[in-house]
Amino acid sequence: MLTSNANISKWVQTIKISWSQLTAYRVNFFLQVIGPSLVFFFIKYNLWSSIYSSQSGLIIQGYNFSQMIHYHAWSLVVSLIAGGYASHNLAEDIRMGRISSYLIYPFNFWEFHTASFISFQLLQTFISMITIAFIFSIGIFHNLSFMALIYGYLFCFLVSLMWFTLQYMTGILAFWLEETWILRVILQIMAAFLSGAILPLELYPSWLVKVLDFTPFPYLSYYPIKVFSGEISPFSGAPLIIIFWIVTFALINRFIWSRGMKLYTAAGM
Amino acid sequence: MNNLKHYLNVYGNFVSTSFSTAMSFRFNFILLIFMDIFFYFSSLATVSFIFDHVSAIGPWNKEQLMFFISFMLCVDHLHMTLISESFWVLSRDIKTGAMDFIILKPIHSIFSCFFRHIRTSSFCNTFVVWGCLIYYGREIELDTLSWVLLPFLVLLSFTLLALLEFIISTSMFWMTEGMGINFLRMQFQNLSRWPNFIYSSMSRRFFTMVIPVLLIGSAPVHFIIDHSKWHYLIYLVIAIVLSYIVLMYIWNRALNQYESASS
Repeated sequence: MLTSNANISKWVQTIKISWSQLTAYRVNFFLQVIGPSLVFFFIKYNLWSSIYSSQSGLIIQGYNFSQMIHYHAWSLVVSLIAGGYASHNLAEDIRMGRISSYLIYPFNFWEFHTASFISFQLLQTFISMITIAFIFSIGIFHNLSFMALIYGYLFCFLVSLMWFTLQYMTGILAFWLEETWILRVILQIMAAFLSGAILPLELYPSWLVKVLDFTPFPYLSYYPIKVFSGEISPFSGAPLIIIFWIVTFALINRFIWSRGMKLYTAAGM
Repeated sequence: MNNLKHYLNVYGNFVSTSFSTAMSFRFNFILLIFMDIFFYFSSLATVSFIFDHVSAIGPWNKEQLMFFISFMLCVDHLHMTLISESFWVLSRDIKTGAMDFIILKPIHSIFSCFFRHIRTSSFCNTFVVWGCLIYYGREIELDTLSWVLLPFLVLLSFTLLALLEFIISTSMFWMTEGMGINFLRMQFQNLSRWPNFIYSSMSRRFFTMVIPVLLIGSAPVHFIIDHSKWHYLIYLVIAIVLSYIVLMYIWNRALNQYESASS
């Protein structure tokens, strides 16, 4: 019982420390994490306004103007909750030899970074709630259902865990690579393009959508948006598929970690 | 003339050392090429997918907008190759005090700050972006004048983008953690990747007159597509001159503000 309490205390303390680190430079956090999502939404709003204003009553693959903006507003919320985490420190810890500390501490590497991730998620959840309230106040979310919000958040937490395991994977590849930011950027470009964050997947060629269904990408944006909108039930097969991807990535991460540790030279020690 | 020769000589050494560094990490070198190509592909494919469902965006049809995107990819490519790496190093140099050594060098500090690191892997993608630009240029049947002016217009656009980014980056001198400024800089770049007519009139005015990011691509491409819009080129040149003056003023203020963390 004592051991379990001590363990919970370590998690809580690490979450608190990460929270302090994240909020220490607030302008920096805003510019790095929230700003890009807001600008992305601003561009999409203007682009679709321009497209729909050229022809009244235009419907594109089942989306009228209001539905398209609705989709992209939820995309903004999803990007804040599920897609904001970046594994900056992970790779740096490995490259600079800082993981040596974790090897002797009673709180290991993945626990520390998972606690940091939870802290980041708590902050992002708070920010996303303010965002939803603001978007609701300007009339974009007219049919906001409480249950859809709850389901959407639960679904997004699952998606964020999948994103975390993916980011963790790119981070621990630092055992072999000098720079992992390139992999992270490739992953971000692929995720933005293939997840439905830029365009609803209905606008993509049907053959591509069929292929994408076998990848984790649509679950990063398209499905969470549809759950928030109440168009897809959270009790469909989607959560199971996400869990499948989380377990797969976690197993790969475990394998990479065990292989990487054999190569680790503790630089700077 | 001697001064120019000296700077070219220094720049040659910058390229040479950047190439040597890049060659030490060959896998990274290859990954960077793929990263750029995937970005180019996703930019073009996004527009193409939209045009599968609409016939025009604003006054432009698919080929015209694809030409605009290709033009911006050429500007982006120059940016990626010549200056993009330096911004990330600048925020670190200011924080750690390594900026001291840059100020002490007998060349202009702007030159050694922003032109020191060259991403040599991006040279390999030159044919990809210029291939796209030439392809869509042929699709919209550019006239001889446009073909002749095209490389100069890409250079002019790149100059404005670079000056604006230098100005934005200078704000790092006033911040404890300057990394976020790099993300702000990238957001302005994102705004410029779409033609000016998609924005509402108020934001269009703001991003043309106050922070002229919309002139980067829209001004030259409007002129190429319709030569009667030559006034756009005047705006572009004015924006470059004004940005240069602002940069010089802000840069001097920033150097006075610099506290040298290492000292």
